[in-house]
Amino acid sequence: MLLEVAKAGEIAPGGMKFVKAGEREIVVCNSDGRYYAVDRRCGHMSGPLEMGALDGTIVTCPMHHVQFDVTTGEALNRPVPEYIDEPLPGRWAEYMKHFGTLMANTSVCNIKTFPVKVDGGAIQVEID
Amino acid sequence: MNVESRKRSLRYFFAKVVEPLGYKFTPDAELAEYLLEQETHLEEKHGSPFCPCQGLTQNHEANMKIVCPCIPFHREHFDYMKRCWCGLFVQKDVSDPDSLPQISYEEFRKAKDASGSGEGR
Repeated sequence: MLLEVAKAGEIAPGGMKFVKAGEREIVVCNSDGRYYAVDRRCGHMSGPLEMGALDGTIVTCPMHHVQFDVTTGEALNRPVPEYIDEPLPGRWAEYMKHFGTLMANTSVCNIKTFPVKVDGGAIQVEID
Repeated sequence: MNVESRKRSLRYFFAKVVEPLGYKFTPDAELAEYLLEQETHLEEKHGSPFCPCQGLTQNHEANMKIVCPCIPFHREHFDYMKRCWCGLFVQKDVSDPDSLPQISYEEFRKAKDASGSGEGR
């Protein structure tokens, strides 16, 4: 099913737009004038990718800095651990230790990509 | 994680950082591929693409100064050698990277002190 998700020119080069298309949440990326569409949710912990950064064809998740190639959906790295140089108060220290264990056991999956077509002034995405 | 894909993305980001500093990837393509591959393994293990030729310590601040490309943290030293420590990057005018010796920080300091100037680290 081909859906119009944006007007050409609506997304600046280097920009991204979150679109809800039926049950799908997707992000349309403008990589130097070429458009790509990917699943909105990061393949690590489902962070909203449109709130991250797009550089060339690489999007970086705002949560743990996992990167994906928007042309293929391929995950390019593992999450980058946060470093906190001050001791945390008791319960927070326990929580962060627990969270760290979860993070270490959370795999990073590739994200889905969707075919994009620019027809006249409309950007359309093929949603399955 | 696919190592080849990660190497390509590191190349993409590194080039943007080192170019304004007057550096480029070494013309020794085989060496560059090898070093980038080691960095992807270090990133997989430790979370950051650390320099493969410098040892990690328990000092986080010191470790952060060897995340590739680490040129900004060792500028005067590397400018003196015309290359970074591991040799992944050389200054733009370098065409024969094998001719550039790796000079220890201590030797560099001695040379700078002898000439009357030096950098803090």
